[in-house]
Amino acid sequence: MRYLWHILVMINIYAALASSLNLTAGYTGLLSLCHAAFYGIGAYATTLLVMKVGLGFLPSLGVAMIFTAVLSLIIAIPSLRLRGDYFVLATLGFQIIVFSILYNWVGLTRGPFGIPGIPAPRVFGLEINNGFPYFLFSLALVLASLGAMWLLIASPFGRLLRAIRDDEIAAASLGKNVPRVKTMAFAIAAAFAAVPGGLFAAYVRYIDPTSFTLTEAIFVLSIVAIGGAGDFRGPIVGAVLLVALPEVLRFLHVSDSVAANLRQIIYGVVLILLMRFRSKGLMGDYGFE
Amino acid sequence: MLLQLLANGLVNGCLYAILAVGFGLIYNTTRTLHIAHGGVFTAGAYTCYLFLIVMGSPLWTAVSLTVLLSAMLGVGMELFVYAPLGRRHGSALVAFLSSLGLYVALINIIALLFDNDTKVLRPGIEKIFVFGPVILTSIQLIQLVVAFILLPSFVLFLRHTIWGKVIRAVRDNQTLASVLGINVAKVRIGIFALGSAMAGLAGMLKAFDVGMDPQVGMPALLAAAVALIVGGVGTFEGPVVGGFLLGFLQSLMVWKFSARWTDAVTFAVLILVLLFRPTGIAGRRPEETEA
Repeated sequence: MRYLWHILVMINIYAALASSLNLTAGYTGLLSLCHAAFYGIGAYATTLLVMKVGLGFLPSLGVAMIFTAVLSLIIAIPSLRLRGDYFVLATLGFQIIVFSILYNWVGLTRGPFGIPGIPAPRVFGLEINNGFPYFLFSLALVLASLGAMWLLIASPFGRLLRAIRDDEIAAASLGKNVPRVKTMAFAIAAAFAAVPGGLFAAYVRYIDPTSFTLTEAIFVLSIVAIGGAGDFRGPIVGAVLLVALPEVLRFLHVSDSVAANLRQIIYGVVLILLMRFRSKGLMGDYGFE
Repeated sequence: MLLQLLANGLVNGCLYAILAVGFGLIYNTTRTLHIAHGGVFTAGAYTCYLFLIVMGSPLWTAVSLTVLLSAMLGVGMELFVYAPLGRRHGSALVAFLSSLGLYVALINIIALLFDNDTKVLRPGIEKIFVFGPVILTSIQLIQLVVAFILLPSFVLFLRHTIWGKVIRAVRDNQTLASVLGINVAKVRIGIFALGSAMAGLAGMLKAFDVGMDPQVGMPALLAAAVALIVGGVGTFEGPVVGGFLLGFLQSLMVWKFSARWTDAVTFAVLILVLLFRPTGIAGRRPEETEA
């Protein structure tokens, strides 16, 4: 049973993370490879606020969201002037730089040693332990942030994002400030990436930089692309599929080290096949055209 | 000390240049951000390991088979992944996502077959050569020699042969080239073969020097991508210049700061170049890389 809750918690975390990436990659057409950096910044910021400053979990998470959004501006403001492949490469560079800082700024992050002993979150005096309580807790937070994202996408602002994705020049000619809107979308996506970051840290109780690598950024992007970019259900379906499906290997008695590689091979192949036969992903309506 | 670091920079620059030239060849002509190029680099190292260590073939057999199989791997990717996408008019982003999938699948197949630990191609300590204050190992010398033969002949090939002319024609305008009777599909296959052979060769040379693990490809590819952009997208010589510059820059970083920040500085340079001189040092055609 514990195992089942674990899988469900991970699905929650990745559904929220991929949905936040969907705001930029799917709705705004900004394919970024630095989402694991925002996820990591959120995780570290929440953890450090809880452990060093002594804030509660929820206030820490809130501050971490703002902090991540502000940091995202460092990369958003310059690189949003770039287009296509150049934008992808600039975000990739940012991902590597953030990883390098997490890894090398030992004074703050303890670098490769990671931060152990992260306390379980306390909300209104209740300690939320792993297992079913944490599942409920993460579900509540994830639903709240999905709800907020849904309101955003359904709003005129969301319509503007899609307009920019489909025809940037047309949107600009209607008097919309395209760079500003893109920057806002990027910062909002980064803020929502901090939520699963904090949830992950408080769940695993230990973080180190290896959870927030380029590989992870590629994985999150794959969830969005496979589930369907630009569709609200897409990243959720993608997260269920890419987190739960590989667990089948466990029941086939594949050894752990082999299973880790097999999972990645499977998702690599699924990505190739989907891009070839259905580039919109399983649910999507935007095919990266 | 400084001369030794510059020599190390030169040796690293050789590898970056070889990898970047292949990456640039593919990027310039097909507009595909071919991340799986890093996978070919890794595969080159492991193919050589398979023949040389596991099967005990002679050195030259292993080396030539590695280059040949790397070329075939690249051609396979073009035939089975990129070319069908092109026929379906997939956008550059679709090709890029497929490339990510290819890379992830490929390196995990390698990890499954050969495990994740570090492997070496030659045991023991290497013969060293002393040139005044500079010490180089024999394999580093070989890297220099290979690069100094390969890179100029590659540039001459593109500039002065008919095949070079065809490749440049496809780079400049694919549609026009095909109208004029050039078989673009065949040229693309040739380009993938050539570029991937170079990637496999670079991976093998690197592995002879410092060994290999399944993750070696990505940092090398990222360095090559930076070299391409710093040198100038659209040219075939740019990546050579960019590769050597990057090699030197990283050596100076080690000297001035610490090796730990090499990656961060490399990418800070990338972002700065993208912002202030997106055409690179020798670049041309600035605004034609839209997705």
